[in-house]
Amino acid sequence: MEVEKISGLKFHKKQDVAIVGAGMTTFKRRLNETGRELSYLAIKQALEEAGITIDDIEMVVMGSAPDTFDGLHMKGEYLLDGSGGSDRPYMRVFVGGGTGVFAPIAGYWHVASGLADVCLVVCEEKMSSSHPHPQSAFKYIWDPILDRPLSPNLIWIFALEMRRYMHVHNIKHEDIALVSVKNKGNALDHPCAQVAEKITVEDVLNSEPMALPVRRLDVSPPSDGAAALIMVAPHIARQLTDNPVWVTGVGWALDTTWWTNRDLYFPRYVAEAAKMAYRQAHINDPRKEIDVAEPYDPFDYKELHHMEGLGLAKKGEAPILTREGVTQRDGDLPTCPSGGLLGVGNPIAATMGVKACELYWQLAYRAGKRQVAKEVTTGVCQAWGDLMQVGTVMVMSNKR
Amino acid sequence: MIEKIVNPKELRHWDGRIELYWIYTSGKAGDEFFKKLMNEEKFLAAKCKKCGKVYFPPRIYCEKDFSETEFVEVSGEGCVRAFTVARLDAYEKPLEKPEIYAVIDIDGTDGCLIHLLGEVEPENVEIGMKVKPVLKPKNEREGKITDILYFKPL
Repeated sequence: MEVEKISGLKFHKKQDVAIVGAGMTTFKRRLNETGRELSYLAIKQALEEAGITIDDIEMVVMGSAPDTFDGLHMKGEYLLDGSGGSDRPYMRVFVGGGTGVFAPIAGYWHVASGLADVCLVVCEEKMSSSHPHPQSAFKYIWDPILDRPLSPNLIWIFALEMRRYMHVHNIKHEDIALVSVKNKGNALDHPCAQVAEKITVEDVLNSEPMALPVRRLDVSPPSDGAAALIMVAPHIARQLTDNPVWVTGVGWALDTTWWTNRDLYFPRYVAEAAKMAYRQAHINDPRKEIDVAEPYDPFDYKELHHMEGLGLAKKGEAPILTREGVTQRDGDLPTCPSGGLLGVGNPIAATMGVKACELYWQLAYRAGKRQVAKEVTTGVCQAWGDLMQVGTVMVMSNKR
Repeated sequence: MIEKIVNPKELRHWDGRIELYWIYTSGKAGDEFFKKLMNEEKFLAAKCKKCGKVYFPPRIYCEKDFSETEFVEVSGEGCVRAFTVARLDAYEKPLEKPEIYAVIDIDGTDGCLIHLLGEVEPENVEIGMKVKPVLKPKNEREGKITDILYFKPL
């Protein structure tokens, strides 16, 4: 057995893990399909891209965020048959919005441990079932005694965080709005996109105020959809493709649930998770060694926040890189070339399609019109969730 | 020493309620199934194009081999696979009339349905008994599983 010893991290890996196929549905309001049907549609694409059938799948990881969206307790069990979980070892994982990268991390455990040689990871979210609005469901993630009597919602919590970030680094809304302009524009090349459009900084600044500084175009939309990934052992990858993409590092971390007691300007949970993943991937200087990134962007400032957590920019530097065009698709460090959540949509867990799946497509040179201009070897994707406290990070490389 | 408090009013306490509701849809196959039942009194199943397994109620995919399926019509008749006679309601109050719940193996399919049995006394129900569905009158049907009132012995 191969044993890797990395300082500060006990890490015993049985085998390397490759990604050989991915798929996703369009992101939009999909009343016509059930969550099971959405999962099935995404899996079919991933199997086809990998060149295998469902019979080849040994184990399944399902990722889906709170049960309150679908209105079904034990949603994982409900979704099982459309997720290929029937008669197989099957588990559901979720860390709220962080699920889109946490689910592939769980898939990685399955293969790296040697328990499975072929693992299917599928993420689904159907937010449109929830009324009066999917946002209403978030009310019940707060502490029932300290927070909930004030009727908080996510938008104003994020507004507090955005304000703090802007204040500490003296950042203008104009600089943050550039992220929304970039991502919604990138999404024009994504066939699954919900809110792709060519907009300007002025459009963002003049859009409807929600909880200032957050305005309508700073935010990603609720959505329905599913995404799937096929993760395999090296000997399987060799049979299927000449160009597998390797998972070289995974990391996850949670900060305290007492969110008011954090300094909101910097996502420590992402920094901790990134540190774990980079150590495993032998990355010392992420800004130099990462060629393409998919940081989690449910809000425009969040992409910047997360770039800094991921060490892709110094604290307060992400808006400068964005203004200089470094993060454009033809820039030196393209971020969210998929169009991200801001452009493609935000079906919580299913955003795996624009994070882990997109990174795989970029590194496999399968991203089509979305392919970044520069040569790419190594990339990072990240998601964030729970009570604004979890960071989930995956590093991939097309060199083993 | 731990004091036992059973009345929350002795402590500061907060009432809570999750004020959400959901609108569920039945998917592509479910929609066909319920419309057919409501409008034409017919039952749809779905046959896997690869392995031939027949799903009831229908689905757009085969859960075993992930192939597509095609709709096939079935009679809706079947036989009792298992049953129970409920004598208490959910609050443990005796029911005026016992209710018979059965898993019904639907003819010509590999699927079963849970539903009520009617026009039969509990002591006369047997496993393997042939049954057929009794539907609500057309003007009362809503495209729901309760458009079937119950299954009765054939």
